[in-house]
Amino acid sequence: MLTIELNQVRKCYDQFVAVNDLSFSIEQGGVFGLLGPNGAGKTSTIRMMIGITVPDSGQINLFSKPFERKSLQKVGYLPEERGLYKKMKVLDQLVFLGELHGMTAGAAKQKAAEWCKRLEIDAWLQKKVEELSKGMQQKIQFIAALLHDPDFIIMDEPFFGLDPVNATLLKDVMLDLKKQGKTILFSTHRMDQVEKLCDSICLINKGNAVLQGDLKTIKAGYGKRNVQIEYEGNGDFLQKNPLVSAYNNYGNYVEVRLAAGADAQQLLHMVAERSRVNKFELMEPSLEEIFINMVGKNDA
Amino acid sequence: MHNILIIARREYLERVRSRSFVIMTFFIPLLMFGVTVVPTMLANRGSSEVKHMVVVAADRDTAEMIRSRIEQEQEKPKEKTDSKLTQKRSLPAANFTVAVSTNTAESERAALTAKVKAKELDAFLWATPDAIKARKLDFVTNDVSSFIDNGVLGLTVNDALRRQALKNKGLKDDEIEASLESVEVAPQSPLGKGAPDPKVMYIATLGMVMVLYMTVLLYGINVMRSILEEKTSRIMEVMLSTASAKDLMAGKILGVGAVGLTQVGIWAATAGILSGGALVGVAALIKGVLSVKLLIYFGVYFLLGYVLYSTLCAAVGSMVNSEQEAQQMQFLVMMPMILSVIFIINIFQHPSSSLAIFGSLFPFTAPLVMFSRIAIQPDTPWWQIALSIGILVATIYGMVLLCGRIYRVGILMYGKKPSLPEIMKWIKYA
Repeated sequence: MLTIELNQVRKCYDQFVAVNDLSFSIEQGGVFGLLGPNGAGKTSTIRMMIGITVPDSGQINLFSKPFERKSLQKVGYLPEERGLYKKMKVLDQLVFLGELHGMTAGAAKQKAAEWCKRLEIDAWLQKKVEELSKGMQQKIQFIAALLHDPDFIIMDEPFFGLDPVNATLLKDVMLDLKKQGKTILFSTHRMDQVEKLCDSICLINKGNAVLQGDLKTIKAGYGKRNVQIEYEGNGDFLQKNPLVSAYNNYGNYVEVRLAAGADAQQLLHMVAERSRVNKFELMEPSLEEIFINMVGKNDA
Repeated sequence: MHNILIIARREYLERVRSRSFVIMTFFIPLLMFGVTVVPTMLANRGSSEVKHMVVVAADRDTAEMIRSRIEQEQEKPKEKTDSKLTQKRSLPAANFTVAVSTNTAESERAALTAKVKAKELDAFLWATPDAIKARKLDFVTNDVSSFIDNGVLGLTVNDALRRQALKNKGLKDDEIEASLESVEVAPQSPLGKGAPDPKVMYIATLGMVMVLYMTVLLYGINVMRSILEEKTSRIMEVMLSTASAKDLMAGKILGVGAVGLTQVGIWAATAGILSGGALVGVAALIKGVLSVKLLIYFGVYFLLGYVLYSTLCAAVGSMVNSEQEAQQMQFLVMMPMILSVIFIINIFQHPSSSLAIFGSLFPFTAPLVMFSRIAIQPDTPWWQIALSIGILVATIYGMVLLCGRIYRVGILMYGKKPSLPEIMKWIKYA
C-alpha cells in the first residue's frame, strides 16, 4: 500500500515555480528522504502533502485516497519552523494537540506522560514551555508529532539544533517506529544526517526532482570510486595526480575520487611509496557528493 | 466543528487563567472609578481655606445685594441635601468672605488689582454701573481657571442684579422671590406614563453604548494580538497540520469572544453586588428603560459587531509581524467605531437625521448607531432595523470569506509587511 503518492504536483508563487511537476510515492513502512539544498522546494512540497496549501496542478493521494482533511489525524508533522504556545504548560499543550488529532483528553494525557518519560523530560510536564531549554522544546515538539500514534510521520529538519546525545535518542525512536511499520518522511538539507536511515530518496533542486529511487541502487550505480586516506607526511602530490579526479582535504584525512579508469591499487602503491599509510578505504560516494555531482557545485 | 471547539476552549481557558485577565478584570473598574468618581470628589471638596473678595459697586444697595446672595448661596447645600438626585452646583461652603466697597475710581481698581496680584486679596468683582450696563463685569482673581466656581459665581451675581433691578422697581421681597422661583421643563414622551424617564434613558443608553464600544474594541484587538503572538511563536504550522485555517480563525474568535462575555459578566455581577440594596432602587429606575427587547438588541449588535471587527482584526493580525505594525493598523481598523462614538451624542439628539440613518445602515458603524437609535427612539422603523441587521450579516459573511483568505496566507508569511497589491494576490490564491 502506498502511504503517499504525488503525481505531477506543481506549485507556483507568482512567477516563481516552487515545485515543478514533482512525482514520487512512499510504500507503507518505508523511510523516505526528501533531500535538497535550502530553497529547493522541500517545505512547499510537504505543505501540499498535508493540505496547508493546495497544488496548482497534479494530484496527491494520502493513504491511497485523494487528499482529505480527515486523513490528517493519522499524520504526524514536525515542521521546520518549530513553535509551541510559550505560556502553556507542557502537559496541557500536548493534550491540546492530541485532542486536535482526535484523541480523548485522557488518552492524550497518558500518552504524553509515556513519551515524556521515554525522552527523559517527564520532570517538566507541569512547567511552562518558555521555561524549557531549546533542546527540551524540540523534544516536546517531537512528542507532539508522535503522540497520536500516526501512521505517516513527516519530519522537516528533525535533527536541527540537537546535541549528539539527543540526536541519537531521537534516531533510536525513529528506528523503532520504522520497525512498527510506520512510514517516515525526512526532509533535510543535511543529507549526511539521514542517508543512513533512508530506504529511498528523492533529491530535489529548484523544484525539480534530480534523482530518485532506492538508495542502495543509486549508490551502487556510482560504484566504490571514493578513497579515504589517512597518512603521515606530505600529501600534496595527491592534489594534481592523474589518478585523482577530485580532492578534499579534511585535515586529519583526505578524500579523493578516482579518475575514470584509474585503479585503486595503483594509488595505494603511490601513497605508500611517499608516506606512511594508516588507513586506505574504498567507499561509496556520499549523497552529498552525488548531489553536487548532479547539479554542479554552485547550486549546492 | 470539533476542532473549532477545542481551539476555542484552549483560547478561553488560557486567557481566563492568565494573570493579565485577573488584573484587567479588577483594574478596569478601578480605573473607571478613578477617572469618574475621584476627580468629582476632589472637585466637590474644594479647599477649606477662607478666601476674601471685594465687591465694588457705585451704590451700597447693589453691592450688599451681591454680597448677601453669595453668602446665601454658600449656605444653601446644607439645607437642600435631601431635595434631588442631581446635585445642584453650588459654591463650596463658606469659601468667600465678602467685603463691599463703593469706591469706583480707576485708582481704586488699580489698587485692588495690585492687592490681588500681591495675594493680599483673593479676588474682586467690578460691578460699576457702566459695567452692568455693558452686561460684562470683570472678576479679577488668581483662580481664573476654577471654571465651576466662577460659573456658579456668575449665576449668583446675575441673580443678585436681577433682584436688585426688581427691588428698584418697587417690588417687595416675597414678590421678587416668587417671580424668580425657577420652573422645571419636564420632557414627556407622547407614549404617556409608561415611557421611561428620558434622563435615565439617556444615561443608560450611553452606558450600554460605551460597554458595547469598549468590549468590541478590546476583544477585537485581543484577537489581533493573539494571532500575532501565534505567528511570532511559529506554532501556526503545527496547528495547520491538523486544523484548517478557517477552524483556527473561528475557534479564536469564539474563544476570545467568550472571554469578553465572561469579563463583562463579572463586571455586571460585581456592580450588582457592590450596589447591593441600592440595586432594588436602580432596578425600579431603569425598569422602563431596559426592556427585554432592548437587551436582545444589545446582544444582537454586540455579537454582530464583535464578529465583524474581530474578523477584520484576525486578518490584520495575520498580516503584520510585530506589535508596532499591529498598532498602526488597529487604529485604521477601529476608525469607524471611534467615529461612531464621536457622533453618538448627535445621534442621541437627532435619531432620525440622515446622518443617523446612514450610520445605522453602514455596517461598520451600525452596531453602535443602530443600537443607540433603537434605545432612544422606540418607534424606529422596523424595516430600517431589519435592513441594518441584514446588511451587517451580509458584510460579515463577505468579510469572513475575504479575511479568511488573507488570514490563511498571512499566518505563514514572515518578513516585511505586505503591500496592498500583495494582499490582493493573497485573496486570489486558491
